[in-house]
Amino acid sequence: MTASVLKRTLLLLGLSLYTAFASGPFVWAAMMSLRTTTEIHRSHFALPFPAHWHKFPEAWFNSNYATYFGNSVQVVVTAVVILTVVGAMAAHCLARYRFRLNRVIYFVLFSTIIFPPQITIISLFQILVQYGLYNSKVGLTLVYVAIQLPLTIYILESFFARIPSDLFDAARMDGYSDWEIFWRVALPIALPAVATTIILNFILLWNEFLYAVVLITDEDNRTLPLGIQRFIGDTQEDVGMIATGLMIAIIPVVVVYAFFSEKLIQGMTAGAVK
Amino acid sequence: MGEAPAHRDDGLRKPWGTIVAFLLPAVTIYVALTAYPAVRTLWNSFHKVLPRRDEYVGLANYVELAGDEIFWKAVRNTIVWACTSPLVEVSVAMLLALALYAKVPGARFFRVAWFTPVLMSYVVVGILWLWIYNYDWGPVNAALRALGLGALAHPWLGDPATALPSLIFVTSWMWTGFNMVVLLAALHSLPREVIEAAELDNCGWGGKLVFVILPLTRATVLNLIVLSFIGKMKIFDLVWITTKGNPLWATETVSTYVYKRAFEWTTFDLGYPSTIATVWFVIVLTTVLAMTWAFRRREKLEF
Amino acid sequence: MRVGGRSALVAISLGVLAWAAAAAQAKELTFWSHWAAELPKREFVEAVIKEFEAKNPGTTIKATWYEKTALYAGLKTALRAGQAPDIFYAEPDQAEYMDNGFLLDLSGLDWSKVEPWAKEAWTHKGKPYGLPLEAWTMELYYNTKMMEGLGVQVPDNRQMSPDAFMDMVKKAKAKGITPMALGVGDRPYPGAHLTHEALVKRLGTDDYDKLLRGKLPWTDPRVVDTLKWIRSLTEAGLLPNTFSTLKLAEAHVYFHTNPGALTFLNGSWYTSRAFNPVDKGGQPKDFPLGIMQFPAVPGAVCNECRTIAIGGSYVANAETKNRKEVLAFLGTFLSQEVGNRWLEKVQVQTGIKTDASKVKDTQAAAYFSMIEKTNAGAKYYFGIPIQVMTGKPKEVYIQVFNNAFPAGIISVEDAVKQQAAAY
Repeated sequence: MTASVLKRTLLLLGLSLYTAFASGPFVWAAMMSLRTTTEIHRSHFALPFPAHWHKFPEAWFNSNYATYFGNSVQVVVTAVVILTVVGAMAAHCLARYRFRLNRVIYFVLFSTIIFPPQITIISLFQILVQYGLYNSKVGLTLVYVAIQLPLTIYILESFFARIPSDLFDAARMDGYSDWEIFWRVALPIALPAVATTIILNFILLWNEFLYAVVLITDEDNRTLPLGIQRFIGDTQEDVGMIATGLMIAIIPVVVVYAFFSEKLIQGMTAGAVK
Repeated sequence: MGEAPAHRDDGLRKPWGTIVAFLLPAVTIYVALTAYPAVRTLWNSFHKVLPRRDEYVGLANYVELAGDEIFWKAVRNTIVWACTSPLVEVSVAMLLALALYAKVPGARFFRVAWFTPVLMSYVVVGILWLWIYNYDWGPVNAALRALGLGALAHPWLGDPATALPSLIFVTSWMWTGFNMVVLLAALHSLPREVIEAAELDNCGWGGKLVFVILPLTRATVLNLIVLSFIGKMKIFDLVWITTKGNPLWATETVSTYVYKRAFEWTTFDLGYPSTIATVWFVIVLTTVLAMTWAFRRREKLEF
Repeated sequence: MRVGGRSALVAISLGVLAWAAAAAQAKELTFWSHWAAELPKREFVEAVIKEFEAKNPGTTIKATWYEKTALYAGLKTALRAGQAPDIFYAEPDQAEYMDNGFLLDLSGLDWSKVEPWAKEAWTHKGKPYGLPLEAWTMELYYNTKMMEGLGVQVPDNRQMSPDAFMDMVKKAKAKGITPMALGVGDRPYPGAHLTHEALVKRLGTDDYDKLLRGKLPWTDPRVVDTLKWIRSLTEAGLLPNTFSTLKLAEAHVYFHTNPGALTFLNGSWYTSRAFNPVDKGGQPKDFPLGIMQFPAVPGAVCNECRTIAIGGSYVANAETKNRKEVLAFLGTFLSQEVGNRWLEKVQVQTGIKTDASKVKDTQAAAYFSMIEKTNAGAKYYFGIPIQVMTGKPKEVYIQVFNNAFPAGIISVEDAVKQQAAAY
């Protein structure tokens, strides 16, 4: 009895320690975000009393955070919408129709998941420059669609393939066209999988850095990760202000996560669970 | 990549128009922004690609690459990263998943909390860990000093001996929660009776892990290892934000080296970095294929 | 003839019309510059921009201020993509800009207003490409109070002997004071100052130049000896423990405020950060700043040899559509009056011809007299190594001599071997 209680307590203690380890850095940054650099240098781990809330508006207005946020929303939302529609169409087609090139196309698309980004990034730079899409949100959006397309199709195809074909036969009997079958039968059934890919793509693209750093230089077109990098470069050794800037980037994610944690976890792990 | 499901139309009626209409957007995007760039990179790799002029150089770039120690250092670092990090992540994740599987109070909270780091961008994570590793006031050295181990305080990212392990540690910190969630789901999908039977057989914890749980979750574990491996072979953001490959190329990865040669070095040549990309592409492709093949020989692996 | 005359008249009037139309059409020049955080420089340039805009109605300048790393990263891709701004910041180490024809030939400017050696720094294949705004010398700044506290004397010629310098390092270390603030967290050169200032003295400017250009092997015994001497200094604890990750701006603060170091080896542009307000990273009010020379080097052939370099400059995009306006803007900088204003406001030297005696600000005048004292009788080498080297030697030099060697993580023998192999 006591042995098992002891074991439980030890286990809980271990788990709590790991929790402190996993989330500690964020808590620490949150504390620093409310303190001035002078206070921080006096003691790096003290609680934020008094709390300098005014640092948040300060960081927001002294930088271009509004622009960065706007750009990120614009690029990511557009890319996710295109991805969802285009990806679902392709996935439905690959799952539903049998034709000679079906598996070839599927395999070619699918194997792209393991491509290291370098294999395309240099020539994407050249291509976007040629077509006047370099340093533009349109160009970045298109690239984002391209890099997430294989994973999207892969996840959706496996879901579409599981929809019983009787359903489609019944729909055809009712006189549905091919497009209507996709739009009004398959897609509504696949909604959970579609939601999953939307979440996954949204998070991955929201955090994307490599393509953005290569394809965007203009201040007005920077997405949030580039903006944070810029903010840090400019703020130099002002640790307190950088922490505030980081928190501005973290908070929206945390808020969304607090409300939809299960959905988010499900979305993020979609590519790994089978 | 399962068998073609049986319910597919039998092929008697092939509505080619519909098929093309459904696939065209995806295939166009793929060809224009993935396939064509990849081919063009291959073309670049045989050229010197300078602003406003290209020049055919045959295999010269490849010859130069073979003797480029920085490249081989980057390859070594990346492979070390891709081989150690998945093992750490998955094994720690397995322990954590087992702990939660044992029905501890607050399991749901733990699961949600541990998953958080994955949701953050590497830019944020990189800066946080720059501070954590700070020599003067970072928590790592502060903790060591508080424990009276001040002699062990170290410029973690400044010393070539510790810089790479320190960064690997960060990626493991970031991804362990993710792996834990997937493993936990796999554990929950196991038939209860099997585990209970093992309990009745008076199997110890270790025995249960080795003889029952691991074989049953094998597919998931291998799958996670492959995924993590692929991810680490691409690593760029974290290095770029923290060390940029310093000190002495100790944290240089192939991705950062390609970026540097393409957009930072004074040469302005896009041909040579394309050569690196091409060679690296071949290396990644063969390794992943070999891994999948080796794993699948023993058990069909899906990922 | 009459017909010709008439058509000439038509042509002229058309030309006038076109000119008038162009003048009426508002033009915006894009301008990217470093110095986002270096207020005196930024304010100086902003004043010049205002002056230019007042004199040239219809032409405006859209300035974007960056930190150097972000600026360079952005410029490299923007230039490659043909989307660089009309005017931007550059330093003479970027020979690749000229090699690839990215820069506008600035022969049209009034070069009589520029110091000849400064023009030379920007001359490539006979043509000048950059406006050499900032010039600087390598200085060894120190905290005079701390120095007195240690009982160390700085000799009248402002240059310590090797032994005296080593003695100073040991005394500081014994009191728990870092002898020299220096950090390479975000720049490719501060750590290398230590070796190049010593090598130029040991070898003299001619052999030193050969060394940088790969015409004298790095394995030369004179080089090895000098590096060993520097190694003895770093082993005695010359540099901060945080050397590898300490950023440039942090190194400034490390020197003058927290925790405070005895000396700081830096370009004479020290002022552009240190003379900021205190809460913007400036040195404390009444900071006891002293300047001395880099110490004498054992076996040196030229202890008066030292580095002078052109730093921040402005260049123009070769593909600009507004050549005339761009040249007019850069021309605004070229007068003794503007040069003097730079001296007074920024307190760093400049490549523009100036008259330092006209500097009225007393603090600035006092500061320049200190700089003059340490530079008396100096023999200069123009440029720091990364401005002379390109490609692989440069990359290896940065990794080895900026980072690894001063950090003590590579032996003298390996360091020279790696550098020799890079040529």
